Amino acid sequence: MLSPERLALPDYEYLAQRHVLTYMEDAVCQLLENKEDISQYGIARFFTEYFNSVCQGTHILFREFSFIQATPHNRASFLRAFWRCFRTVGKNGDLLTMREYHCLLQLLCPDFPLELTQKAARIVLMDDAMDCLMSFSDFLFAFQIQFYYSEFLESVAAIYQDLLSGKNPNTVIVPTSSSGQHRQRPTLGEASVLEGVEASLFYQCLENLCDRHKYSCPPPALVKEVLSNVQRLTFYGFLVALSKHHGINQALGALPDKGDLMHDPAMDEALERLVVRSRLHRTSRQHRAKEPGAFGFQRREKLEALEREPSASAPTPYSYWW
Amino acid sequence: MVTPSGCSGDDPVRSLSLRGSGASEADAAGLLGRSPAMIPGKYRSVSGRAASNVNCGLHLVIQTSSLPEKNKVEFKLSKETPSFPGRLLQHDLERNYSSRQGDHINLVSSSMPSFPILQRSSEEKILYSDRLTLERQKLTVCPVIDGEEHLRLLNFQHNFITRIQNISNLQRLIFLDLYDNQIEEISGLSTLRSLRVLLLGKNRIKKISNLENLKNLDVLDLHGNQITRIENVNHLCDLRVLNLARNLLSHVDNLNGLDSLTELNLRHNQITFVRDVDNLPCLQRLFLSFNNISTFESVCCLADSASLSDITFDGNPIAQESWYKHTVLQNMMQLRQLDMKRVTEEERRMASVVAKKEEEKKRESQKQSLLKEKKRLTINNVARRWDLQQHRISNIAADQDGRDSDSPSQDPCQNDGSTVSAFQEETGSLDSGLTSALQGLSVTDTHLVEVDGDTLSLYGSGALECLDRNWSVQTAGMVTTVSFTFIEFDEIVQVLPKLKMKFPNSLHLKFKETNLVMLQQFNALAQLRRVHQLTVDPQGNPVVNFILWKYYVLFRLSHFSMQKINGTEVTQNDMIMAERLFGILAHVASSELPPYHLISVLGDARKKQFRCLLETKGKKPGTVSEENDDSKRPAGENTNRAALHYTARDLYHEKLEEIKEKKKFCKMYIEDLVKEATEINMKNEALQKLWPQMFIELVRDAVIEVRNKSSYMKLCLRHITDQK
Repeated sequence: MLSPERLALPDYEYLAQRHVLTYMEDAVCQLLENKEDISQYGIARFFTEYFNSVCQGTHILFREFSFIQATPHNRASFLRAFWRCFRTVGKNGDLLTMREYHCLLQLLCPDFPLELTQKAARIVLMDDAMDCLMSFSDFLFAFQIQFYYSEFLESVAAIYQDLLSGKNPNTVIVPTSSSGQHRQRPTLGEASVLEGVEASLFYQCLENLCDRHKYSCPPPALVKEVLSNVQRLTFYGFLVALSKHHGINQALGALPDKGDLMHDPAMDEALERLVVRSRLHRTSRQHRAKEPGAFGFQRREKLEALEREPSASAPTPYSYWW
Repeated sequence: MVTPSGCSGDDPVRSLSLRGSGASEADAAGLLGRSPAMIPGKYRSVSGRAASNVNCGLHLVIQTSSLPEKNKVEFKLSKETPSFPGRLLQHDLERNYSSRQGDHINLVSSSMPSFPILQRSSEEKILYSDRLTLERQKLTVCPVIDGEEHLRLLNFQHNFITRIQNISNLQRLIFLDLYDNQIEEISGLSTLRSLRVLLLGKNRIKKISNLENLKNLDVLDLHGNQITRIENVNHLCDLRVLNLARNLLSHVDNLNGLDSLTELNLRHNQITFVRDVDNLPCLQRLFLSFNNISTFESVCCLADSASLSDITFDGNPIAQESWYKHTVLQNMMQLRQLDMKRVTEEERRMASVVAKKEEEKKRESQKQSLLKEKKRLTINNVARRWDLQQHRISNIAADQDGRDSDSPSQDPCQNDGSTVSAFQEETGSLDSGLTSALQGLSVTDTHLVEVDGDTLSLYGSGALECLDRNWSVQTAGMVTTVSFTFIEFDEIVQVLPKLKMKFPNSLHLKFKETNLVMLQQFNALAQLRRVHQLTVDPQGNPVVNFILWKYYVLFRLSHFSMQKINGTEVTQNDMIMAERLFGILAHVASSELPPYHLISVLGDARKKQFRCLLETKGKKPGTVSEENDDSKRPAGENTNRAALHYTARDLYHEKLEEIKEKKKFCKMYIEDLVKEATEINMKNEALQKLWPQMFIELVRDAVIEVRNKSSYMKLCLRHITDQK
């Protein structure tokens, strides 16, 4: 927290910019919400837990959407939570529809808006056939871009539309910009014959946008890399390229690389334990139902023993990955 | 006594009339042939040829009140040779045809070329003055019969006559037998005003006609012809016997005017319905065997006939029905014989009992179908309302999708289309009585509650109120299946605690048209005591289209050990799969959810349990919690799954509003705090900046002050003295 930037800003602005205020507000809010319970085990304890969970990224679980999207950290945490919880669905190889992914999202955030899911699906499906099936990884990376950079993408869409219709977006959006003066308007004929917009022109606009954008946006260098490979591109082409760019994924830091998407040994271990337990639990229950008495009791003991063992061998319940 | 010679034993129909001759009309009505019952068995099995030789010596007596006793006509035929049946016939035939033996009868060619002229010897004439038999003479036309004006009986059986001719002079004729000829039209009878018996069986007559003058006709036999309808008989008010067996009649009507008819034979036709029989005041015997009557309704006029005592229906489809006998007996109390068997008192009683039962059953079933229909209409009504509501909601959803968009987002057309089509095709046909009764029902109900055996069915959201009702312990205990139709799932969620209390044995839940759109909605079912079966109809529940829904249900409701989902048995593999897919979610929810949040997520009931869990966790995190968690599991659901709960959308919105309020307050509070803190910080920093200088200044002042030791001492001493 004691970065040199701190001195450049008044304290209050600094705290606000770093979203410290957001978390403080939320902490107090949570405290209010559960006043009685929390007062029983200590307010200091509560604040410790709260800020710990913020650090671990578990604070967004089952929270309302307005909170989940409030800070970049929350968004990244949510992305990671979504990946961790439903990685198994992808691993299983099921292709799901947009609505099913939406349902999964809603399991973590009950009021998650459909609109965002739809937009993410549009990136995967290139804006058509919205009821198509998508693979988990395709959806996840598209969703990451859409969710994390949602405000940025909205501005990009506006710029793209302006470029398409031949307007010079810089004169509209950034009147003070000097870079817009020596740029030539694209001729209408060219735009109508070819699909999309010219990449370099587009990049200039985006660079400009990144400079003054107060929300998070992808690193300009990476955007440049994406755009430098092609002459022209469409809006969804751009989004797809963004979502597939592993550098952006790394920069964002919420999800592993595409190749490692199905890897999460710690969770797999936990899952194995759960599966074994549920299997034993079920069979034991059946047995118990059939022949209550000594045998059922024995089995139960065995079951507990089984459970105690792996949990003792896994002493790291928290993984600090931030 | 007249005994018409037996000849037509091949046709039982022809002879039926005899059986019915009861004591009251013993003098008059036994007219034709033999009954099959009277033909010895060995003959009956033999057809035509053999039977033609049978002579059973029947007596025909015709007597009307108008005739004086001495005018009683007696015909006697072949009575003398009972042991050699047919001998006389044969004899006569030979005699007549070959003119070999004495030639009592001579057929002589007349002056007119086509007609033979019949003459009998005077001796013959004296012997059989009023009778003339011309059987089996291979006659193709009627011969001219001269000088026999007094003839009363004329027999032309078994010839080839095609037209009735040359008998118009026989005005005293009472009995005319043209059985087994080739007559195509009834004609030439207009002068025979005294004719009482006309036998035209086994001919080729297509139409009943030209009987206008035969007002005294007593017996009319038209069996074995090709008559298709009954007509031109309404003036025969003295007719007692009418035989129309083996014709082509398709129905019976136009019988009025036959005021004396006691016997009507209609066997072996194609009759499907009978009318007008109630207009026959004297009808006693009606033979309808071997026709095409299939319902009692088509012969219901029989029930109105007061005189009918003997009826046959055998050989009709109706006689195959289980209800046949008792229905007939019940409706025709006057009946003495049915299908030639005496109706006993016992049978009649039985019939009335059965009929009463039948009636009751019918009334009951009518009531049932009335109820059913009412139910159907109500459900239709509910469905309509639901459609409307859904349409509205989806419209709003479409509006909201742009901005807020967590409202139920479903396809309006799909939803409407499916419901409308599914419920309109049920409009079945109802009999008229029911429909009229239905019009009395005002079907404005917006919901329907039905308990049928072990199933409680609720239609429409209003039906949920029934859970507030006091159900009898027995009913409540019996209900194991609860079905919801046309109710918002969110509304159902709110009554689930009540359901749990009022119907503790409900094991099977069914949802149809309940707007289940999200997996998280299934979380709500976890609060029930137990669910062994779940059926979610795809109609109106889009969630069922998801691949994962079953696994999610299994995962979330794993503490119920579900046995069946949508009718499919749940296997061990399903359970493991469910666990594999969603286990991490539960793990994350339980082990990573910050405790403060877990509290707010868990319901009040769980809090206590959670608190003790928390205490143990405080000492030994990890190990103990899982153990603890497991020990509680058999009693209730997994704590690690409890975090996955569902709040109905409305409630959730309320909660969000509440949170918003709190947030506003928190924001202000924090803002104030932070501002205050930063101000203090600023002052502090300013002070920190000034302090070194201040300190130096202070020290310098002090040094300057104490530099002159003696003056400082003086000053100090003065201070002290001043104080004193």
